[in-house]
Amino acid sequence: MTATRRRLPALVTAAVAAAAVAWVLFLAADTPAGTALDNPGTFMVTALDAVTFAGLLFVAASGFTLIFGLMRTVNMAHGSLFLLAAYVAIGVQQAMLGKTRNIEPSEVSLVDWLVPMLVGATVAALAGMVIQQVFLQWNEGQELRQALITLAITVVLADQMLREFGGLAQRMVWPGSVTHFIEIFGQRYATTRLFMLGVAVVIGVLLWLWLNKTRLGLVVRAGVDDRQMVRGLGINIRVVFAVVFFAGAFLAGVGGVLGASFSGAAPGTDGSWLLNSLVVVIIGGLGSIKGAAAGSLLYGTVVAFSPAYLPTQYSYYAIILTFGLLALVLAVRPYGLYGRPA
Amino acid sequence: MRNMKRPRRTTAVLAAAVMALVGCSDGGSSGLPADEGGGTIDTSEGVKLGILGQCEGPFGGFHEDTVGGTALAMVNHAGATVESATSALDGFSGAEVDGTPIELVGVGCGDDTPDRIIEEVRRLVEQLGANVIIGPLSGDEGIAVAEYAKEHPDLTVLAGISGSQEQTLQVQAPNYFRFYGDGAIWNAGLGDVLHHQEGWDDVAVIADDYSFGHTSAAGFIADFCGVGGNVTARVFPPLGTTDYSSYIAQLPGPDEVDGYFWAVGGTGTQAALEAFVNAKGDLSGDQHAGNLFFNPDLAQSLGTDIAGAYVGGFATLPGDVTTPAIEEYLASADATWETLAGGVSGNEPAPPSTAAAFGFFYGYYSAGVALVRGLEAAGGFDDPEVLHQSLSGLTLELPYGDISLDENRSGIVDVGLSRLVVDENGEVVQEAAAIIPGVDQSFGGTFSPDTPAPSRDFPACEERDLPWEGNAIEVVDGVPQE
Amino acid sequence: MRTGSSMLNWRAASLALAVVVLAALPTVASAFFINFVMTQTLMMGLAAATIVFLAKYGGMVSLAQFLFFGVAGFMYGNAALEVGSRGLNLGLPPWTAVGFALIVTTVAAFLLGALASRTTGLYYLMLTMVYAVIGYFVFAQVTEISGPSGITSIERPDELAAPVSLYYTALALSVLAYIGFRALGRTAFGLALQGVRDDPVRMASLGFNVPLHRTLAFTLGGFVAGLGGLVNVWWNGQIDPASIGIGPTLVLLIIAVIGGVSYFEGAWLGAFVYVAMFTYLRDLPLVDRIGITEARFNTVIGVVVLLIMVLSPQGLAGIADRFRRRLSDRRRPVAETSDRSEGASHRAQSIDK
Repeated sequence: MTATRRRLPALVTAAVAAAAVAWVLFLAADTPAGTALDNPGTFMVTALDAVTFAGLLFVAASGFTLIFGLMRTVNMAHGSLFLLAAYVAIGVQQAMLGKTRNIEPSEVSLVDWLVPMLVGATVAALAGMVIQQVFLQWNEGQELRQALITLAITVVLADQMLREFGGLAQRMVWPGSVTHFIEIFGQRYATTRLFMLGVAVVIGVLLWLWLNKTRLGLVVRAGVDDRQMVRGLGINIRVVFAVVFFAGAFLAGVGGVLGASFSGAAPGTDGSWLLNSLVVVIIGGLGSIKGAAAGSLLYGTVVAFSPAYLPTQYSYYAIILTFGLLALVLAVRPYGLYGRPA
Repeated sequence: MRNMKRPRRTTAVLAAAVMALVGCSDGGSSGLPADEGGGTIDTSEGVKLGILGQCEGPFGGFHEDTVGGTALAMVNHAGATVESATSALDGFSGAEVDGTPIELVGVGCGDDTPDRIIEEVRRLVEQLGANVIIGPLSGDEGIAVAEYAKEHPDLTVLAGISGSQEQTLQVQAPNYFRFYGDGAIWNAGLGDVLHHQEGWDDVAVIADDYSFGHTSAAGFIADFCGVGGNVTARVFPPLGTTDYSSYIAQLPGPDEVDGYFWAVGGTGTQAALEAFVNAKGDLSGDQHAGNLFFNPDLAQSLGTDIAGAYVGGFATLPGDVTTPAIEEYLASADATWETLAGGVSGNEPAPPSTAAAFGFFYGYYSAGVALVRGLEAAGGFDDPEVLHQSLSGLTLELPYGDISLDENRSGIVDVGLSRLVVDENGEVVQEAAAIIPGVDQSFGGTFSPDTPAPSRDFPACEERDLPWEGNAIEVVDGVPQE
Repeated sequence: MRTGSSMLNWRAASLALAVVVLAALPTVASAFFINFVMTQTLMMGLAAATIVFLAKYGGMVSLAQFLFFGVAGFMYGNAALEVGSRGLNLGLPPWTAVGFALIVTTVAAFLLGALASRTTGLYYLMLTMVYAVIGYFVFAQVTEISGPSGITSIERPDELAAPVSLYYTALALSVLAYIGFRALGRTAFGLALQGVRDDPVRMASLGFNVPLHRTLAFTLGGFVAGLGGLVNVWWNGQIDPASIGIGPTLVLLIIAVIGGVSYFEGAWLGAFVYVAMFTYLRDLPLVDRIGITEARFNTVIGVVVLLIMVLSPQGLAGIADRFRRRLSDRRRPVAETSDRSEGASHRAQSIDK
C-alpha cells in the first residue's frame, strides 16, 4: 500500500509522458502542427527547435547553477549580467564593423562575433566578481540575505542599463559563416540554431573537463559536497569562490551574447532570462550541471512543442503549460531531478 | 499563564474598538477633509499642467520626448522659454495664453502599466494641484487615465500618444481629448494600397498578443478585409516570447499567401522576422508589410532585405516629406534646444529635430498646441466646461496635417503610409508612399461604442464601405500628388 | 516572567496608541496624504505582513503573496461587473462578489501551497517567484477572466463609497491582521508551525503533518493578502496582468525587507517608507542636482535595499528594535538580557539562514 503510494507520482509521470507522446504521434490532428505521423517534417523541426533552444537555456542556466552548487548563493543578478554582456558585445561588434545598423551576416566574420562575445562575457565575469567580492564574500552562508542583496543589485543595474543603453531593442549579428539554410524533410532550417547548440555542447564539455579533469575542478566538486572538509585540507576556499563566481558570471555573459544574437537585447531581457534560468534549475535541481542539461531539455521541449501541439483554440495557453511541467517535476521530486536539499 | 491572558484581552478590546470605528465611518460622508478625495480641481490660478511621461518600461527611453513635445508647443505658441538647452525634463517657464498662465507643476513617470499611471496622475492632480494633464503614452494607460478623467469632470486631459481605441470610443469621458489617431487608424489605407495596387488577396497577420498588437492588427484587418481582401491566418505570440519559431510555424508558407502583416514590437520585431527567415524563406519587400514597429529607428537592426515593404503611419510623416510647415516645426525644435537625448537616438544627445520628427514627441506637441488653441477659443480658463467645449470644436493646424475631433473627442487625421527603401548609404529608411486623408476611429462602422475591444478574433474579416477607399494621395519623392 | 509581561504591555500600549493616532489622522492630514499615501501604505503593508507571517513562523519566504493580492482583485472584478468587454461579468451583488473573490483566492492559495509544501528555503523563494510569473501569464492569456488589458471600471460597494472609508477599511484589516498573526504564534498551530520551521524532520517524527502545516499557513497568508487585494482593487478601480507582474511582486518583497522581514510592524513601516519615498523623494529641493530624478527612482530604491541588506538584514524594524534594546539594557541589570537576545537571534534566523 505505502509502496504504491510512494510510487504513485512516478506512475503519474510515466502516464502523463506516455499520453503526451501518444497525443503528438497519433491524436494531435486538430493542432497547428498536425500529428507527427502525418507531418513528420513539422515534428522533426519542432524537435530540433526544442533541442537548439535548450542549448541556449543550458548556457544561460549553467552559470547560475554552478555558483549555487558551490556557494549556495542564488544570484538574482544573473539576468543583469546576461544583459550587460549582450549590450557590451553588441557595442564591440558595431565598433569592429564600423556601423550600427543594417549589418548583414555576410559582413560578419567569425572573429567579429567571437571577439565581442569574449569581451562581453569577460565584462560580465568581472562585474560578477566585483559583486561577489564586495557584497557576498563576507556574508557567506546567509542565503536569503545574499539573494536579496543580488536582487537589489539587479534593480540598480536594470535602471542604470536603461539609462546607459536606452530602451530600444538591439541585436547582435551571427557570423556569416554559420548562417546557412538546410532542408529537413522538406522544411527549411537555419544552421545558426545548430551553431547555438554546438556552442552549448562545447561549453558543456569544457565544464565537464574542468570539473572532472583539473585539480581546481576537483576542489570545486569537493566543495559542493563538503565545504568544511575542503577548508580543512588547507585550500584557500576564498580564491576558489572568486574563480567560480567569475566562471559563473562568464557563462551568464556567453549566454547573453548567444541570446542577443538569437533574439535581441532590450530592457526586460534580464528579467526573462533570470526567470528562464530559474525554471531550468528548479526542474533540474539547483547546483547540478547534469540537472541544468536535463532541465534545459525538458523546458525547451515544452516551449517548442506546446504552441505547436496544443489544439488550435488553446494554443494561446501554451505558456501556461510550463507550469504543468514544474508542477509535475515538483510533485515527483521536490528538489528537482538531480537536486538535493539545500 | 498571565502572559497568555493579557494580550488576549488587549486583542479583544482593540478589535472591538476598530470594529466600532469602521462601523461609524462606513457609508455616509463624515465631513473629513479626506472625504473630498481628489474631486476638487482648482482652476482659479491659471493652468497647472502635469505631463504624464514614461521613464521605465519598454518605452522608458522616450521620457525626454514626451516632455519635449509639450515644451516645444509652449515655446512656439505660448511664449515660453525652456529651462535647459540640453534636457527637456527641466521644463519651461513663462508660458501664457491671453493672460492665462500655464505652469508646469510636475512630470509623471509611468512604467507602461495602468496601475502606475493612475498613481502618477493622482500625484499630479491630488498632490501637486494639476488641473490639466497631457499624456499618457501607451494604450492601456490611456484607458485608465480616461476612466480617472471621467470621475473628475473638472480636470482636462489631452492624451499624449496612447493608442488604444477604448479610451475614447468606449470610455467617452467628456473631458478627455485625443488629437491624434489611435493604433488602428495608423494602419488605415494599407489594405487599400496592398489589395488594389500590390494585388494581395490572401494575407496572414502576426501581432503581439496584447492590446496594442490587437488594435494594430484590427486596424489592418478592418481595412484590408473592408476593401475585399482576405485574412487567412492570425497568429498572436505572447509578449516576451524568446523563441518565435513555434509561432512562425503556424503561419502559412510564402507560396500559400500573397503577403504577411507584422505588428510585433520590441525585441520581437527582429526575433520574429529572423525566425521567419529561418523557417519560411528569405524576406522580400513585396511580401511583407508592417505597422509602425517596422520603423528602422525603432528596430535598428531591420535588414536591407525588407526594403520595399509598406509600413503603417505613426502621427508624423517620413523625413523625405518637406513642406514649409514641417521645416519650420523642425527648425523651431533645433532653435529651442542644443541637443536632446530622445528615444530615437538611443538616449544619446542628438539634434532636437530627430526627436521632434517622431510620433512620441509629436503627439505631446499636438496636445500642447491643442491646449493653447483651446484656451484661446475659450477666452481663458475660468470654467473648464467652456474649455472642454472649445476643445471639442477645434480644428488644429499642425505641421503634419490638420486634426479635428469626432463626437467621441478622438482625432480625425491624415495617415501617412510609407515604404522602406535603401538609401544611397545602404541604410534602410522610410519613404512616404501615400497619405490617407480624414481617417476616423469607426472604420466605416467596424468599430463603435457597442462593439467589443479589438481582440484575437475581433474584428471578423468582412467587406464594407470605407470612407477613405480610393482617396489615397500618392506621394512621389516626398511630394504629395494632390 | 516580569520582563515578558512588561514587554507585552509595552507592545499593547504602543499598538493602541498607533491605532488611535491612525484613526484620528484623517481629521488633520490632507486628503492626498490619507487617500493616497496612507491607504496605499496600509494595504501594501497588509500584503507584506503575509510575507512576514510566512517567513517568521514558517521559514517560507514567499514571492507569491502579490499574486493572491491580484487574484482577489481580478475575481472581484469578474464577479461584480455586469457588463464590459472583458471578464466573466457575473453581475453578483458586491458583497457576494467579495465572498466569491475570497473563496477563489483561498482555494488557489491552498492548491499552490500544497504543491510547494515539500520545498523549503531558497527553493521556496524561487518556486513562488515562478508562481507569480505564471499567475501573470494566466491572467494575460486567458481572456475569459482578464486578458492583456485587464478589467476596468470596477466600482466598490456602496457602503465604501466615501474615499476615506477605504482608509478605515485598510486600517481595520491591518490591525486585525497584526493582532491575529501575533496571537496565532501562540496557538497550537502557530507553535507547531514554528517547530516545522526549525526542525521539520523532528516534527514529522513527532507525528505532525509537516506539509499540511505549511499548506495551511500558506492558505491563510493567501487569504489575508486577498483582503488587501480587495481594498487595492476598490482603490484603483481597475486591475490588469501587469498589476501582478514581476515588478510589483518584487516591490512587495522589498517592502517587507526594508521594514524587516521578521517583524510584523516592519511590513507597514516598510510600506510607508516605500510609498513615501515613491511619492515625495522627487519633490525634495535640489535632489535632482545629485542625479536623483524621478526617472532614476529605481536606482534609489535599489541602493536603499542594498544598504539595508548590507548594514542590517533585519530592516528598519530590526534597527529600531536593537536601538530600543540598547536603551532598555542601560536601565536594567545585565543578567536579564540574555534570554531576550536569544529571542532576537531566533528572529534573525529566518533571514540569516
